[in-house]
Amino acid sequence: MTMTPPLRKLVLTVHLTCSVGWIGAVIAYLALVIAAMTSQEARMLQAVWIAMEVIGWYVIVPLALAALLTGLVMALGTPWGLFRHYWVLISLVLTIFATVVLLVHMQTVSDVAGRAAATPGAAVGGLPGEFVHAGVGMLVLLVIQVLNMYKPRGTTPYGWRKQQERRTVSPAET
Amino acid sequence: MAQTPLEPGRGSTRGTPRWVKVFGIIALVLVMLFIISLLAGVRHGPALHTPSGDAGGSTRHSSVAAHGEQPS
Repeated sequence: MTMTPPLRKLVLTVHLTCSVGWIGAVIAYLALVIAAMTSQEARMLQAVWIAMEVIGWYVIVPLALAALLTGLVMALGTPWGLFRHYWVLISLVLTIFATVVLLVHMQTVSDVAGRAAATPGAAVGGLPGEFVHAGVGMLVLLVIQVLNMYKPRGTTPYGWRKQQERRTVSPAET
Repeated sequence: MAQTPLEPGRGSTRGTPRWVKVFGIIALVLVMLFIISLLAGVRHGPALHTPSGDAGGSTRHSSVAAHGEQPS
């Protein structure tokens, strides 16, 4: 099931937009966290938590899910496959890991943002935790980005087997 | 999982490449460090968002507490 070149280009464009957008949104999230950490004013903390919830649910989560989905389509719709090359497999595992941690963590962000919004003048903690989560998340996304750009060599045992099967069936293809 | 016009199969070799092994070792070390930090009692998850450690979670900013509450 290989995609036609125009379709492949379209999906690639969407995938790159979502992936880079995800990184950009996490940078914006980190900027909010750092601004709040350096300010420590109650109103600033409240505003930051509410903004983080909005950016998280309406920007980061949709971009993460879209990047994961389009990545799956790209892998399955091209000769790269999903489990044939280590860089694709590791990218997939890291993307799923980052998305799951994001979805779980956003529940906490919503909880804290809700409390911050409901209690006038209240200040909530947890910003160092946010910094760690967003910072590590960003590192993971950068690793995925580097893997996708450099595509380091390496075929999984499954990929090797598939390659041998293809060569046996059609030797002229190589 | 972005793809470029580069097709697979260029110089693909059998066996696990060195970069995958290094990657695996680093991942393993990070997972171990995370587990050790949990066992050592480092707070993680929602607990990180409750600076006083109480279940209520939200704490009054010192200036708000000073102006908005009378000591009992």
